[in-house]
Amino acid sequence: MDTKAAAKKMEMRGKGLGSSVTENPVFPGRIELPYTLTTGRAAATFLAELANHKIVGSRCPRCDGIFVPAQDFCAACGTSLDEFVEVPASGKLSGYTETADGLIGLVRLDGATNDFPHKLLDTQLGELKLGARVEASWAAEAEGSILDIEGFALGGDEGGEVKPLEPGAEPVLEQKYEMRLDYAHSYGPYYGMLFDGLATSRRIQGTRCPSCERVLVPPREYCDVCYVRSGEWVDVADTGTIKAFSIIHLEFVGQTREPPYVYAEIVLDGSATRLIHTVAGIDVEDAKERLQIGTKVRAVWKGGDPIGSLEDIEYFEPVFED
Amino acid sequence: MRDVAIVGTGQTVHARRRTDVSQAGLVREAVDEALADAELTFDDIDSVVVASGPALFGAVNQPEKWLVDGLGGRMKPVVRITSGGGTGLAGALAAMNQVSSGFAERTLVVAYDKLSEGALQYQISTLYDPFWGREFAVGIMGFASAYWRARIETLGHTEEAAAMVGVKNHKNAFLNPYAHVRKEITVDDVLESRPLAWPIKLLDVPPISDGACAVVLASDDAAPKTTAKPAWIRGMSYYGEADNAPDRFMLQSVPLQLAAQRVYKKAGITNPRRQFDVAELQEPYTCFELSYYEGLGLCPTGEAADLIASGATEMDGDIPCNPSGGCMGANPIGATALIRLAEAALQVTDKAGGRQVPNARTALVQAGGGWANLRGVAVVSADRN
Repeated sequence: MDTKAAAKKMEMRGKGLGSSVTENPVFPGRIELPYTLTTGRAAATFLAELANHKIVGSRCPRCDGIFVPAQDFCAACGTSLDEFVEVPASGKLSGYTETADGLIGLVRLDGATNDFPHKLLDTQLGELKLGARVEASWAAEAEGSILDIEGFALGGDEGGEVKPLEPGAEPVLEQKYEMRLDYAHSYGPYYGMLFDGLATSRRIQGTRCPSCERVLVPPREYCDVCYVRSGEWVDVADTGTIKAFSIIHLEFVGQTREPPYVYAEIVLDGSATRLIHTVAGIDVEDAKERLQIGTKVRAVWKGGDPIGSLEDIEYFEPVFED
Repeated sequence: MRDVAIVGTGQTVHARRRTDVSQAGLVREAVDEALADAELTFDDIDSVVVASGPALFGAVNQPEKWLVDGLGGRMKPVVRITSGGGTGLAGALAAMNQVSSGFAERTLVVAYDKLSEGALQYQISTLYDPFWGREFAVGIMGFASAYWRARIETLGHTEEAAAMVGVKNHKNAFLNPYAHVRKEITVDDVLESRPLAWPIKLLDVPPISDGACAVVLASDDAAPKTTAKPAWIRGMSYYGEADNAPDRFMLQSVPLQLAAQRVYKKAGITNPRRQFDVAELQEPYTCFELSYYEGLGLCPTGEAADLIASGATEMDGDIPCNPSGGCMGANPIGATALIRLAEAALQVTDKAGGRQVPNARTALVQAGGGWANLRGVAVVSADRN
């Protein structure tokens, strides 16, 4: 391929069905997960002693290293560590950088084997140099977090010594943690077409595999079974049959329906793939008896403007033939 | 390719919640026990494979970097394998290939999950396509209950038959010191327990556990030098299929059948019911064990309910299934499949203590993950191929 043709090909790549490469709507996805983490004995002790303005490290009995913050296992030789020491709250700067949120330094506390990162306070990039003395600045109130050390400021005397830890505080064995992840998923040409159809005209569209002739919903570029590029777009009905169902009583974080409700895997008429949704419009106890593999269902669409998602279908309702 | 044997196994004290250790402390506990069992030290280990479930279970991405000191993996080849619920066996397969290829003489495989830290069903729901299906996903329980309901209709895998699986596995768990659920239950208890995703009820479901398992694999050269009783891996495989392929058959797992076919051929198994002395099956819900009886050829399709009712899979039956209690005793998801492999090794080396099946020489291991689309099988034996 000559350069011009290659450039042309690059230009076409990613354009999908004629949209631009960078200026497309995205599908927002959010994952919010609550955790209660277990810290392990070393971190539990380190976090607890911050309230007493003590910085706790671990001494390795095999290689004699002092690791700060305290660790369960030696980073040099893997030995299990159970001897805690109190390390001076001052040391030297081993590295530093400036970020949008301020200065960050790598701090080597006196007597320690390793560096650890923390905030640098009340200083500027121009004032810093490698080997500068720094000392811990304590937060006004302790919360059992690494930020109980507010950061490190320039200063601090040499000559502090590592000494055995006199245990005082109750270890912080558990910590609450919230993870929130926001995504902007690219639709790509296939999902783009599907969700455009849902949003503008409540159309459900799939692609037909030219080899096995089965219709794939959601539409995709290649047939999963034949590995053949799918081509033809087809409209799929908003009616279908139940392939399997169960009744959800369980409650869980992130649930979008209130239990009890009928969970169903549905094959839409004209397609050969499974759609995960709910069946309603029937009492759940009756559903146990009356629904079967092959029971016909039809989509009940939400009122108002569609948003372009499976959520535009409120639920599927059974259509009994007798 | 060289033959590979299991020369040491270790498990943690499994529990609903271990507040005394971090994830690193948890894996180390299993590693220390496996090394002690093999009478080896970290210096004897050439490479490490760590296996765990989805990273969101533990809120730490790329956890192997965090665990490396606990694993004794410093300055050694360390890789993480993740493959849903079957991840423990997928990890063992990767480790086995390192040894059989000559890359390592002894490889440590460690599998774990610390499930008590987060919201499990929602975490599992994030495995679904964010565009299409996640809104209505119910972890793995939604699809599992739906297709069990379908197998009740088509294959006669009744609620009573599944309850018998639960009763058997709970009973066996009493014999296993690693099991953290020890509860005597009856078929009626299961049938009357609270529905979670009907037909799945509370007592059809295993506990949620914190736990780890470690296994040391050695080459045919190194194994006899390490232990007098190696457990030879006579075949191991792991197959997958697309989740939403057209006309996907859901009543029986095709990847399971493919994996079994391949492994049985390698190990010379032509009559699984007769040739296996014991089986360790990963049955996250009771209904799965029924399905696996058929998929693994322990009985013909549609006869799983008869098999459990006959007592053949009880401790004193002709094909005891899950003498360890299976997932019902403990279910730290990422570790579960490796626990099945370790338990099989204990059986064929006569080290299974109170849960020992007398004279067991050849054991069947099954593992599974994903939406029934990832399935693994292994054969472990006192005898080499």
